[in-house]
Amino acid sequence: MQELVNPVILSRLQFALTAMFHILWPVLTVGLSLFLVFMEALWLKTKHRHYYQQIRFWNRLFLINVAVGVVTGIPMEFQFGTNWSVFSTFGGDVFGHMLGFEATMAFMLEASFLGVMALGWNRVSPGLHFFATCMVALGASLSAFWILAANSWMQTPTGGVFQGGRYVVSDNLAAIFNPDMPWGVSHMWVACLEITVFVVGGISAWHLKKKQHVPFFLRSFKTVAVAAIVITSLQIWLGDGSGLSIAKTQPSKVAGIEAHWKTNPPGEGASWHIVAWPDIDKQDNAWDLSIPNLLSLLTTHSLTGQVPGLRDFPREDQPPIVLPFYAFRIMVGIGFLLFFLMLWTLWTWRRGRLTAGETWKQKNLLSAWMAAIPLSYLAMEAGWVVREMGRQPWIIYGVLRTEHGATNIAPGPMIASLSVFAIVYLFLFLVTMVFCRRIIRQGPDLQ
Amino acid sequence: MTETLSPYLPQIWLTIIGFFLLYYAVTDGYDLGVGIISLWTRHEEDRGVLMNAVSPVWHGNQTWLVVLGGMLFGAFPPFYSILLSSLYIPMVVMLFGFVFRGIAFEFRGHARKKRLWSLSFGIGSLVVTLAQGFALGGLLGGLDVRNGRFVGTPWDWVNPYAALVASGVLCGYVMLGANYLILKMEGDLQKRNFRNAIRASLLTLLISAGVHLWTALRYSQVARKWTHVHDSYAIAFFCVLALVSFTLVFCSLAKRREVAPLFWNVAVIIFSFTALSAGLYPDMIPGGIATPVTVREAAASAKTLIFMLGATAVLLPVILTYNTYAALKFRGKV
Repeated sequence: MQELVNPVILSRLQFALTAMFHILWPVLTVGLSLFLVFMEALWLKTKHRHYYQQIRFWNRLFLINVAVGVVTGIPMEFQFGTNWSVFSTFGGDVFGHMLGFEATMAFMLEASFLGVMALGWNRVSPGLHFFATCMVALGASLSAFWILAANSWMQTPTGGVFQGGRYVVSDNLAAIFNPDMPWGVSHMWVACLEITVFVVGGISAWHLKKKQHVPFFLRSFKTVAVAAIVITSLQIWLGDGSGLSIAKTQPSKVAGIEAHWKTNPPGEGASWHIVAWPDIDKQDNAWDLSIPNLLSLLTTHSLTGQVPGLRDFPREDQPPIVLPFYAFRIMVGIGFLLFFLMLWTLWTWRRGRLTAGETWKQKNLLSAWMAAIPLSYLAMEAGWVVREMGRQPWIIYGVLRTEHGATNIAPGPMIASLSVFAIVYLFLFLVTMVFCRRIIRQGPDLQ
Repeated sequence: MTETLSPYLPQIWLTIIGFFLLYYAVTDGYDLGVGIISLWTRHEEDRGVLMNAVSPVWHGNQTWLVVLGGMLFGAFPPFYSILLSSLYIPMVVMLFGFVFRGIAFEFRGHARKKRLWSLSFGIGSLVVTLAQGFALGGLLGGLDVRNGRFVGTPWDWVNPYAALVASGVLCGYVMLGANYLILKMEGDLQKRNFRNAIRASLLTLLISAGVHLWTALRYSQVARKWTHVHDSYAIAFFCVLALVSFTLVFCSLAKRREVAPLFWNVAVIIFSFTALSAGLYPDMIPGGIATPVTVREAAASAKTLIFMLGATAVLLPVILTYNTYAALKFRGKV
């Protein structure tokens, strides 16, 4: 109970809850807006009715998704001030201006053109409507860029110096283009695309299985299946690249994620644990099941590369282990499952089984695509657990500790806000699911 | 260029932030006002019409708050931190209000029971307005800041002065909303909003006069500026402009004009806001209890301010252009 009235714990719980809930929506906004740009471009080019029908159907899901994303996004920006005021003063010189850019450069663009995109069909020419859709998509992706750049700066802070209780910028571009930024941005942006292809594909699969609107959903299914070939492979490559980069920039995070305690001696490879149970007091694993040399191979691309162990770090600087360790395995596991699903789809398609008359018979394949919807979201959430918990005990890696970043106010209002967030977001989730279900079951308007 | 600019950077940024705040208060002010007016609009169909009057623009308008928040965070990190953490309760309540206001548009479209979501629009708008009013009142009333940290309690914003400011914000938004609806509505709904506008304008005039007086009584520097000939000219100038604009609001409402009331309403807000801020300058957090925080102390490093200034100089004209474009596409009656 004593733990719960601690403002740091309360603020962390609230941030985790609101961030993990919020991120469910913008990922689809980023990806689906690009899907809509693609469909609208085809429609403008070919003038085929069926592309227009695609736009109108997916647009309905897009808009409801944007609405929840927007209302849950505003609390994210404000919480830095309300709950993390010490961090905001300390890191505001870098972090604040990136959020400012996100708002002016990205979010404003998305918000202003969204009105035209959603309600302007009869008020602007098709060309201008397409332009509005492009601006919404650009705004959404730019948003992802700035948020991830800011988050990456918390992982690998560069471009400034610690001075008089504040982190003062010496080079703004170095802060924005910090070492983790290219990996953070690309890995998350591709995650948005990956989730979108499986959401569009999964919904299409559900209708195909029921033999409803087959030509319509076969078209969307095949479109995203082609995209999935590139996206799932690219994501695995980016994940590997991120791992290599983090091994250099945040060694304690890698050691934590892998429950790797002892630095491997020169000439010997570090082994990779499939499962493990860490014992913090012993500073070792109580038990583990391992593959020799694999950790060295994964993090250094050499069989005997040296990987610093957790024991190299003072106990108070060690990250939590159990959650990041298993979350990482969930993310990677799902990443590969989705890759195999793509191969399976490709194989079925090449054998000529994905035709209008036959696709419904591929019941297992279609069910797998439906299961891929929650799995792809789960992989993304697990990835964020790895990224954020792995950074602990730091809020700005190596510079400011999380416990020193929170606002120190009476716990009463914090407990109240945390509880209301939990209730309101649960309510939002249920209502949104009811409406999404209604839109999906209704299917496209083919008039 | 950098050298000549740098001593004035905090002031330049204060002006830009002031612009964002005004732009937000005016544009989302009328959205929120429309929401509050919907609470005493009897028929569900009419409430739908009111929501349609703001549905293409509210999202863009609300985004000025996100811009304001982001830029304030970047340009004045300590101010941002102190403001939001010391006003934790009104800020969080405002966020919940935004959730219900924002979600109402999309959900109402899909729902079978429309009533629930137009109520969510109305109550959400009211909650946001009151929370913003109390937050503004809490800030203007002075925050207990010592050594750059807030040391008061989370309930400091609950006081009669803040309540007066909050009622002023409430009446001001309703006034904006009614004037906006005059522009967008026809027939009976328009007629009703002429009535709403006159009542809300009268109340706003009275309350804002009260807020100006009370603020002058609270802070010696404000009172000093009022009594010093040199300073008082500047402030009196804006106060007179605000009063003239108020008169023109009433005149144009009496003549049943459609565009002029909103136009003069915006002028009222700009002038009275400028007069109030000029009185408090250079304090960003007036020292009602402890030491005030000044503009200079609260600013980010010169490097960041210059960097942000360059980007804003490019972005702001672009934003204003496409915002105007989007607004023009939806002009005319609903």
